[in-house]
Amino acid sequence: MNLEGKVALVTGGSRGIGRAIAEALAAEGAAVAVNYRSSKGGADEVVAAITAAGGKAVAVPGDVASWDDAQAMVQQTIDELGGLHILVNNAGISKDALIFNMDPNDWLDVMRTNFGGVFNCTKAAIGHFMGERDGAIVNISSVMGERGWIGESNYSASKGAVNAFTRCCAMELARFGVRVNAVLPGFVPTELVEGLVEKDGGKGILRQLPMKSFGDVSDVARLVCFLAGPDSKYMTGSFVTVDGGAAAMLGTGAPL
Amino acid sequence: MASPEIQTAVQEAVVGALGVGEDEATPDATLMDDLGAESIDLLDILFRIERSTGVKIQASDLGDYIQGGMSEEEFGDGSGNVSRKGLEHLSRVMPQIDADEYEGKLEAEKVISHFTVQNLADMVAERAGAAAG
Repeated sequence: MNLEGKVALVTGGSRGIGRAIAEALAAEGAAVAVNYRSSKGGADEVVAAITAAGGKAVAVPGDVASWDDAQAMVQQTIDELGGLHILVNNAGISKDALIFNMDPNDWLDVMRTNFGGVFNCTKAAIGHFMGERDGAIVNISSVMGERGWIGESNYSASKGAVNAFTRCCAMELARFGVRVNAVLPGFVPTELVEGLVEKDGGKGILRQLPMKSFGDVSDVARLVCFLAGPDSKYMTGSFVTVDGGAAAMLGTGAPL
Repeated sequence: MASPEIQTAVQEAVVGALGVGEDEATPDATLMDDLGAESIDLLDILFRIERSTGVKIQASDLGDYIQGGMSEEEFGDGSGNVSRKGLEHLSRVMPQIDADEYEGKLEAEKVISHFTVQNLADMVAERAGAAAG
């Protein structure tokens, strides 16, 4: 187990990719604070699953879009689990619409949670990391932060902001022994993206993916464990895609 | 006067954060002008000092310490230079500054560039004493 003795805070850890990350970090030996905004039941389930598997976890309420909540989440983690070494900024929302039809509040909400949440939780945690001269931040971004997709301008922009922030944050914190990296998942079926696959079971998307398959939450979770742990000790400011080749592709090309 | 432990801790923090030699980080060396410290370097120095001595100093405390809690109006003389009252305070926290010699000649904004390794050690010692007292 690579993360024995470490404490991790996973934002949006009650479901989807966040849940898989929380459970995977715990399986590597980390004590995990499972943050949730509205799904207390989901967070309690994750805590119960981790505890049943012999790990240690607590549920931590809070909305990452709120600076006050972010500070409280970090403090609760330190108080209840005795420290903080790993921050996984995972919490995210989507409100897909064509720009022509988009309500201006829909880009603000997405930006406040997806980027504002990364900013708030990072700022709340780094004083502790810098003092300890130890810490790993893993931002769950998206291939959408690097590429375009019709109907996801707000989500894509928020993830592009996360990527830009990841670079600057990595630069500012490197000298303090704190690493900051981003994971860019492609299509991983969770509640968040169900709208994209509901029409045709996702066939339209699968045709466009080099690997012709969707990812699994565990694909993302395993990468997060790597970036949070000692095996990636020389990595900071990196973006790692886990997307079945989606971001590498320009098109399928003319068959030879 | 800073204890030898604090003196050493401050020098080690400066050397570690700035990547300068021990022969460069002398008590009289100014952090910004002589040693080239930027704001992120100061932050690093303060975190290193906190780690080795337990004395917590925020970057914003540095300005307050230099200015002695005076308002801008009180610390300045209206033309951008440090006032007589400000200089008298400075001669206590930064004893290398002679109030008579610098009267009307020291720009308030440039005071920080005169802040030395020794001045920082004295500040840490004062804070350590305050915490202990």
